[in-house]
Amino acid sequence: MKFSYNWLNSFFKEDLPQPEKLAEKLMMHFFEVEGVEKKGDDFLLDIDILPSRASDCFSHLGVAGEIAVILEKKVNFPEIESDDGDLESVKVEVENNHLCPRYVLRVIDGIKVGETPEFIKKRLEICGLQSVNNIVDITNYVMLEMGQPLHSFDGEKIAEDKIIVRNAEPGEKIETLDDDKYKLDESVLVIADEEKPIGIAGIKGGKGSEVEEETSLIYLEAANFEAKTIRRTSKKLKLRTDASARFEQGLDPELAEKASKRAAQLFEEYAGGKTVGRVDFYPQKRKPGKLKLSLSNLKSVLGTDIDKARVKSILKRLRLNPKVENDSVKVTVPTGRNDLQLEEDLIEEVGRVYGYENIDPKVPRAALTGPETNYDIFWEDRARDVFKSLGYNEVYNYSFINVKTKKLFGFNDNLIEMENPVSKEYQFLRPSLIPGLIKNVKDNEKKFRNINIFEIGKVFGKENEEKRKLSGLKTTDFRDLKGDMDVLLERLGVGKASYKTIKNKKSFWSPELAEIKVKQETVGLVGKISKDFLKGMKIESQIFLFQIDMDQLAALASEKKQYERISRFPTAVRDLSALVPKRINYEEFVSVAENAGGELLVDVDLFDLYEGEKIPEEKKNFGIRLFFQAEDKTLSKEEINELLEKIISTLEKKSGWEVRKK
Amino acid sequence: MDIEKIEKKALSELEKLDSLDEVKKFEKKYLGNGGKVSEVFKSISKAPEKKRADLGKKANSLKNRLGKGIERKQKELRESAKKEMKRSFDVTLPGKETGLGHIHPLTSVLRSLCNIFEGMGFSVVRGPDIENSWYNFDALNFPKEHPARDMQDTLFIKQEEDLPSEERLLMRTHTSPVQIRYMEKNQPPVKIVVPGRVYRNETTDASHEINFYQLEGLMVDREISVANFKAVITSLIDKFFTGDVDVRLRPSFFPFTEPSFEVDMSCTVCNQEGCSVCSQTGWIEVLGAGMVHPNVLKNSGLNPKNWQGFAFGMGIDRMAMIKYGIEDVRLFYSGDLRFLNQF
Repeated sequence: MKFSYNWLNSFFKEDLPQPEKLAEKLMMHFFEVEGVEKKGDDFLLDIDILPSRASDCFSHLGVAGEIAVILEKKVNFPEIESDDGDLESVKVEVENNHLCPRYVLRVIDGIKVGETPEFIKKRLEICGLQSVNNIVDITNYVMLEMGQPLHSFDGEKIAEDKIIVRNAEPGEKIETLDDDKYKLDESVLVIADEEKPIGIAGIKGGKGSEVEEETSLIYLEAANFEAKTIRRTSKKLKLRTDASARFEQGLDPELAEKASKRAAQLFEEYAGGKTVGRVDFYPQKRKPGKLKLSLSNLKSVLGTDIDKARVKSILKRLRLNPKVENDSVKVTVPTGRNDLQLEEDLIEEVGRVYGYENIDPKVPRAALTGPETNYDIFWEDRARDVFKSLGYNEVYNYSFINVKTKKLFGFNDNLIEMENPVSKEYQFLRPSLIPGLIKNVKDNEKKFRNINIFEIGKVFGKENEEKRKLSGLKTTDFRDLKGDMDVLLERLGVGKASYKTIKNKKSFWSPELAEIKVKQETVGLVGKISKDFLKGMKIESQIFLFQIDMDQLAALASEKKQYERISRFPTAVRDLSALVPKRINYEEFVSVAENAGGELLVDVDLFDLYEGEKIPEEKKNFGIRLFFQAEDKTLSKEEINELLEKIISTLEKKSGWEVRKK
Repeated sequence: MDIEKIEKKALSELEKLDSLDEVKKFEKKYLGNGGKVSEVFKSISKAPEKKRADLGKKANSLKNRLGKGIERKQKELRESAKKEMKRSFDVTLPGKETGLGHIHPLTSVLRSLCNIFEGMGFSVVRGPDIENSWYNFDALNFPKEHPARDMQDTLFIKQEEDLPSEERLLMRTHTSPVQIRYMEKNQPPVKIVVPGRVYRNETTDASHEINFYQLEGLMVDREISVANFKAVITSLIDKFFTGDVDVRLRPSFFPFTEPSFEVDMSCTVCNQEGCSVCSQTGWIEVLGAGMVHPNVLKNSGLNPKNWQGFAFGMGIDRMAMIKYGIEDVRLFYSGDLRFLNQF
């Protein structure tokens, strides 16, 4: 909110500190000053008044009051006492005094509409308001000064000399001062005369009752409206004004009469008016509140001991009329401070005025208990480190997908949709990390030859379920990716996985797709993205991709390690290669060899896989390396050869299998 | 003069030489003008006549043998230098990278923040991304009319049924709901930090994203104070930015804390000289904090008369931007490898 430095300064006998210095003080004890800007011979201070103080500090007088507290100064502003008589000739009728707790109507006659005095014009301008005429400017001036919005009606135009505050009739229409037309409903509070609405309460005046050049009789409205009603109406009609911005914060009804009187004084001084009298509808006077502050609570919450006299002086400057009784202070809360409702609110007042910078840091005293390890995060981090070592880059993608992606990937059922998406791009919560990763390839493939990326993140499914997934891809080759899976599972202590071919579930997968199984449990999928699918997306790379359920993985992961004695006896190595029919997969093939080799065959490596011109078309060739070792002795040549023969003969018993010994 | 002795000494001296320069010096010393060998020849003239012939022969053979030895040594040294040349490599050639990957900068920042807090005894806990209005707003003392509840700020989930407002599902707008969820299940003392993704209905630009990360902190016990908060947060910022960073608290307002403050740290980019990162103020706003509002404790099932503490929330993206000098928050979610490769 914009404030004039000179205006603020005018409330004090001695000059305030320079604008920058003042801003610094306000920043440390009140609210953030977002800017200080020189404007002619004045300065504009942009102060971010937060909701807690909007009801009393959307005004120069309110902020001056805060400055007085912080700088230990006195605000110089005359107490306004009203001695205007009650009028019988004009009537104010309020249908629901809950929605309008106070309505002051002051009648001023003999008005001459004309030029505004220079000092008022200048101050309005600094705060961003254009000068209109002396009447409009004075009401705006008082609003900026005291925080109370005011409205002037031309008294001659009010039918039957009666102001009615009521809810609008359904479908009732009003045209505002800006020539905008609104259709109203019962939730909207209007100001009306006997014939029609003449204003939207607390927001904007209506056309037809406004002050014009020849106006001489003014009905000045200074009212108090329920904050919620004004906020809702302003939102519904998409009509926000300086008045509504104040009313929707909840103003002090006590302010209405003071501001009305202040404006009347200015009308008399600068517009030749004469106050005739007023009507004050105020059935339930708001009373100051009572609160108690315990000094020991103050000390305990702030963590510092503030001298009793200092506390009292701060509260006194805040106009809270403190009375110290033993360990506590009783205060009276002014009607304008509806933010002060709890003892904690008082602690904050003392704390901020005293200055948080004056509180020395104290290391908390706490039991020496270490934190609990969060295993979810622990295993995620372990997985990240494994992938980093394997040369993958971690990416973060958006949690949302658009309808195009949804269709493309065939995510048909049960996606969670946003009621109010930021844009169509972000309409659904992602059910999978895969679309994001594939898009990353598209975005990067022109600049990088090989892409290895992974992401750990939440995906969302039916019944608003959230799941953690780990997904990644490589653009090189399937066996590389599978090797990486094995490293991951080994390094997370999950153990060996088996891979079971399955029918592909979604069309973006190639037919070669496998489930990753650990101890009978399916923890994920690994496969290739279909060529046609990538073509459709205009992606040139090939993509090998996995996805793993992070929750399952974390549950299977273990830090346990058991040392296995290293055999003292040498390992013997033999190679063999075998021609087998193409339909035989490696796992089938190698398990035959492993079963035949028994315990002494400790490891088998695939070192060559050949399909091509040099062998029959319906065959493929596996080259494997066999490792033989015993726990308790050195195996003799004869023993090894015997084992090898056994393996070979077992393999050759299979029809169409042919071993070529090396 | 014992010629044999001279020869023996000279040859063993020659054997130890390992550069051509030294061999040259050696040659001059023995075979040069006024060298040892010429001294030998000179001495022959002084010897008795009958020995002269024999001595002359010996001296000649010394001269020959030393000459041959020198030649052999030179050849040997030249060859080994050649071999050395063959074996040597150009140390200025560019290194080959081993292809390690990269951890996302937000992961690194979260990790290092969590590590610092764990060092201070805080447990790391998490909560759901889909929340209901009760946990996201009501329980945190947001008034029913609070503007943060508007459709223009919060992403709501489309639901068929007409639910009471507190049950409406939404994408959490902060990590604070986990304060309530945790305190419902755990009696104080409470010492937690909560990392996580949060969501806002926001038009994206260089400093705004629709999803981003926060780290929430909560410490509740019998006598946890503002002074304690200052100690914890100063220590955190010092450690995270590894330097002598000043921290200041300013008054602020949040529904779920009272008193509330904004925490600034001295600008590490310009050392408070004034720069664009700190908008020329020398201070950077890093987090919002305060003493947990009594209504929040009540809504978590705790009696505010018995317990008090502080809570804070910081933007991780922002911390990372300050730490690494990143000017656009959208880079974090771009998947751009040119960006990610730098971390």
